Amino acid sequence: MKAVILVAGEGTRLQPLTESRPKPMLRVANRPLLEHVVTAVRDAGIDEIVLVVGYRRERIQSYFGDGDDWGVDVTYAIQEKQLGTGHAVLQAESFVEGPFVALNGDRIVESDDIERVVDALRETGETTLAVSRASRPSDYGVVSLEGDSVVDIVEKPPKHAAPSDVVNAGIYGFSPSIFDALRETTAEGELAVTDTLERLVGAGEVEAVMLNGQWIDVSYLWDLLRVNASIVTAETAESAQIDASASVLGDVAVGDDVRVRPGARVLTGTALGDSATVGANAVVANSVVLPDATIGAGAVVRDAVVGENATVGPNVTVEGGESDVPVNGRVHADVRLGGVVGDNAHVGGATTLAPGTVLGNRVDVETGSHADGRIESDALVRRA
Amino acid sequence: MCGIVGYAGRRDALPLLTGGLFNLEYRGYDSAGVALREGDGVTVYKTVGEVDALRAEVPVSSEATVGIGHTRWSTHGKPTDENAHPHTDCTGDVAVVHNGIIDNYDALKAELEGEGHTFASATDTEVVPHLVEDELADGKSAKEAFRAVLDRLEGSFALAMVVGDSDEIYLARQDSPLCVGHGDGETFVGSDVTAFLEHAREVTYLENGDLAVVTLDGVTVEHDGESVERPVEQIEWDADAAEKGGYEHYMLKEIHEQPQALRQALSGRVDELQGTVDLGLDLPAEYLRSLEEIQIVACGTSYHAGLYAAHLIETHADVRVTVHVASEYAFRGGRDPWRTLVVAVTQSGETAETLGALRDAARTGARTLAVTNTVGSSVTRAADDALYIRAGPEIGVAATKTFVSQVATLALFAVHVGRVRGTLSATEASAILGDVRGLPGAVQQALDADEQVRAVAEEYADSEAFFFIGRHLGHPVALEGALKLKEISYDHAEGFPAGELKHGPLALVTEQTPVLAVLTDGANADATLNSVKEAESRGAPVIGCLSDGRGEKLLDDTLDVPEIGEMSPLVANVYLQLFAYHVANLKGRAIDKPRNLAKSVTVE
Repeated sequence: MKAVILVAGEGTRLQPLTESRPKPMLRVANRPLLEHVVTAVRDAGIDEIVLVVGYRRERIQSYFGDGDDWGVDVTYAIQEKQLGTGHAVLQAESFVEGPFVALNGDRIVESDDIERVVDALRETGETTLAVSRASRPSDYGVVSLEGDSVVDIVEKPPKHAAPSDVVNAGIYGFSPSIFDALRETTAEGELAVTDTLERLVGAGEVEAVMLNGQWIDVSYLWDLLRVNASIVTAETAESAQIDASASVLGDVAVGDDVRVRPGARVLTGTALGDSATVGANAVVANSVVLPDATIGAGAVVRDAVVGENATVGPNVTVEGGESDVPVNGRVHADVRLGGVVGDNAHVGGATTLAPGTVLGNRVDVETGSHADGRIESDALVRRA
Repeated sequence: MCGIVGYAGRRDALPLLTGGLFNLEYRGYDSAGVALREGDGVTVYKTVGEVDALRAEVPVSSEATVGIGHTRWSTHGKPTDENAHPHTDCTGDVAVVHNGIIDNYDALKAELEGEGHTFASATDTEVVPHLVEDELADGKSAKEAFRAVLDRLEGSFALAMVVGDSDEIYLARQDSPLCVGHGDGETFVGSDVTAFLEHAREVTYLENGDLAVVTLDGVTVEHDGESVERPVEQIEWDADAAEKGGYEHYMLKEIHEQPQALRQALSGRVDELQGTVDLGLDLPAEYLRSLEEIQIVACGTSYHAGLYAAHLIETHADVRVTVHVASEYAFRGGRDPWRTLVVAVTQSGETAETLGALRDAARTGARTLAVTNTVGSSVTRAADDALYIRAGPEIGVAATKTFVSQVATLALFAVHVGRVRGTLSATEASAILGDVRGLPGAVQQALDADEQVRAVAEEYADSEAFFFIGRHLGHPVALEGALKLKEISYDHAEGFPAGELKHGPLALVTEQTPVLAVLTDGANADATLNSVKEAESRGAPVIGCLSDGRGEKLLDDTLDVPEIGEMSPLVANVYLQLFAYHVANLKGRAIDKPRNLAKSVTVE
C-alpha cells in the first residue's frame, strides 16, 4: 500500500517562518514535521510514499530526496497551484494503483493509528476516516457517528453548535474510486477533501476509525515551542562540539556540528539545529534554534524560535514568558512566546526583545535596540 | 567519457545490458549498442541516439545470457549507426566495445586494409576486432589472441570483447576505468559501478595493464602475463541517490543540494575556537614549512575552483601558488620538486588530463595531493594523499555543488597550511573558519531567492551575449558563471577580470549584452564598480550580485549576497548557477546532457 502525504500548503499563520519553507518543513526536535510523519508512515509498514508538493517544494525535495535515508521510496506529485486538499489528492492519481492512505504532512500522528486506518481499509475497502476526540472540536471538522459509520461532518462549526467532540483527525483511507468522487465534487474556490467526504457521508459510504494515540498540530508560532518541548529528548550528534565547561541539561536535542561554547547553558525543551552555535556564557532555554543560527556570547534566549542562519548578538535578552500575540488581525492572549527571530535576521548586541516580539526574515536590528511587536521582513530596527 | 557494460550469467542478458546503459547514459549519448552471444555467433544491435532509441531497435527478449554494450560520445568519426559500438571483424564473430583512444590506429588500419580487411566505420576501435580476427586465424585461443592484440595497441583504453564460440567476456584496462560486479551466479561489467549497482554491490576494480576474463562464476585477472588477485570492495552508497528527487533536472537538484553538500564537506573538520582544521592529511609539518610552491592542476570548473583557492592559499599560507590548466601542464624549470606540492583537483577523479599532469609531476619527484569527490577513483590511487570534498554524487554534466565544495575544502586546506607554516594566527584562522561555516546558511538564502533570479533570467534570456566580470575572488566566479551559461544554454558568454573590460572586451558591450558583476566582499567591489560604469555608459544592462548595497543605484537588477568575507563570492556563484539554469530552461535546452559535452572527460 502507498501513502499520499499532502505537503503543498503554505501555512500563513506561521509567518515569517513559512516565507522560505512550507509548513511541513518547520522543525521540532530538530526534525521537520514531515519527517515525523514519514517515519510514522514507515513504522506503520508503508514504504512507498507519494509527496504532493507545491509551495517551496525545493525545500522538501532537497531534504527527502528519494527517501533512501528513511528506508522508503519517495516520489513527488506536483500541485502547481494550491487549490485545496482535494485537488492535492487528485494530483497523486497517476502515482497510486490500489487503495491508499492519505494524510497531512504537518500533523504528527502515531504509527499505530496509521496502521488502524490501513487495517480498516483492507477489511472494508471503503473510504475510511480517522477520528478522535478533541477538547476544542469547533477548530476542526466535527463528525457525527452511528456505530462505525460517519453520518455527518460539519467544518469548524460555532462552539455552541458542535454536534459532538469527535473530529476528523486527518488520516484517510481511500480506494482509487475517490478520484472520480473528487472530480464530481463541485466546490466554490478551493476543493477540500472534506467537501467530497460530506457528499460520501450522505450516501453512508464512510467508515470511521477511532484513534488511540496523540496527534499534534502546529497552528501558531508558539505551538512550535510547545510541541518541541513535548517530544524532544536528550540526543547529541557525535559531530557536535560541546565545551567541557558548558552544560546541556534535560531534554535537549543537539544537531550535527553544533558548537556550544565555554560556560554556555542549554536548558530543557530546546533543540539546537545542525551547525548552530551557542556563544560563551549564553543561556538558551525552551527554544527552537534552527540550523546555522548563531547565538552570541552572554545572550539569554528563552521561549524563542531562532530562524535559520540568524544571528543573535552578544548579550541580547529574549526574556521569555507569556504575552498577547496578534496573528492575522486576531489577538491571542497569554501565549508563551518569548520571541521569534526570522531566517537570516541579525539582532545587534545588547538588544532586548519584549515577550511576543516577531522579527521577520532578514530584519536587521541595530546594536542596543529594543524591539517589540511584529516587524516585517527586511526591515531595519534603529536604536531609539 | 563513454560507457561500457557487460553481463555473463543465466538471465536474459539483453534487458540487463540496456538497463546498465541507461544507468550510464549521462556519460555519453550520441549512440548506443549491444553485442549478444547467441548460438555460435554474435548478434549486434546499434543505433544513433540515446539508449531509448536502442531499446526500440532490439527485440523484447533474447536467449543470450552473455553480452556487452556501449554508449558513445564521439571522438573519432561522427555519430552514425556505423560508428556506434560494438564493432566487429570481417567474420562478424568478434565484437568489441571501447572507451578511450587508440593512438596508433592509423598505422594499424592501413596495415589491416593492406591485408584485405574491410572497415565499416571511421572509428579507431574497429582495428581491435580485425586484429583479433587475424590472431584467431593463426589458431590462437580468444584470450591469447586478445593478449597479442593488446601488445600492439598504444593509447588509453578500456576494452570489452565477446567472441563467437565462447561464453567469456574479455576485458582490458589502460588509463580508462573498468570494474567488475559480483552477483550470485552472474557477473557484471561496467566502466562505472552505477552501471550495475542495483544488481551487484561487491566490486573489483581493474588496474592499468590488467587483462581480465569474466564468466558467470566471476573474474580472473592477469597482469604482465602473471595471474593476480584484485581485491573485492563493498559499495556502500546507493545508485538511487542519483535519482532526480522531484526536480526537473539533476542540475537544479544539485544546485539546491549545496547547503547540505557544504555541511558534509565541513563536518568534523573545523574547530574555529582553536582556529584549527583537521583534514586527516598525512603531510608532515616540516614538509609544509619547507614548501616553496603549490601547483594546482585542473580542468574546467575544477580549474576555476583552483584559481579561487590559489588566492586563499597565497594570502593565508604565504606560499606561492600557481594554477595550471592540466592539459597545458609541464613541470618547468626553476623549481625544486622536493619543495613543490602538486594538487590535482578533479570531481570524478578520472579526468585524463589531470591524471596525466599529476603523473608528470610525480615523475619529477614532487609530492602530490588529490582533491576529489570520488572515493577509490584513479586520482586517489595515483596521488600520495587524497582530500575528499564529500559532495555526494553529481550527475548533471555542468558541475555545480562540487565547485562550492571544492573551494570550501580548499579554503580549509589554506587555513591548515597557514597554521602549520605559522603565517596565520589562531584569531585570524577562527574568523576565516567562521566565514566558511557561514556558507551553508548563506547559500540557502540565495536559493530561497530563486524566483527573483528566474525573473532576471526571463528579462535577459534573449540577449546576444553575456559578460561576467569580477575582481580578485570575484574573477574565478565570473569565469565559472560564464562557463555554466555556455555549457547549458549555448549562449555566447565570457568571463573577465573586471579591470580587463576596458582593455578590449568593452568593444563587444552593447545594449544587447547584459553584464553580470560580482560586487561582494572579497571581490574588490569598489574597483569593479568602475567597470560597471563603463558598461552602463554603453547602454548595457548590469546585474549585480552584491553585499552591502554598494553601487545599487548603478545596477539594473540586484541579487543580495550575505556578508561572509572571502566566502561571499561563492554565494554570488549560486545566483549565477541559477541564472544559467533558468536561461537554459527557458530555451528548452537539454540541461543535464548538453550537446557535445560529457561529465568526466576520460580522454586527453
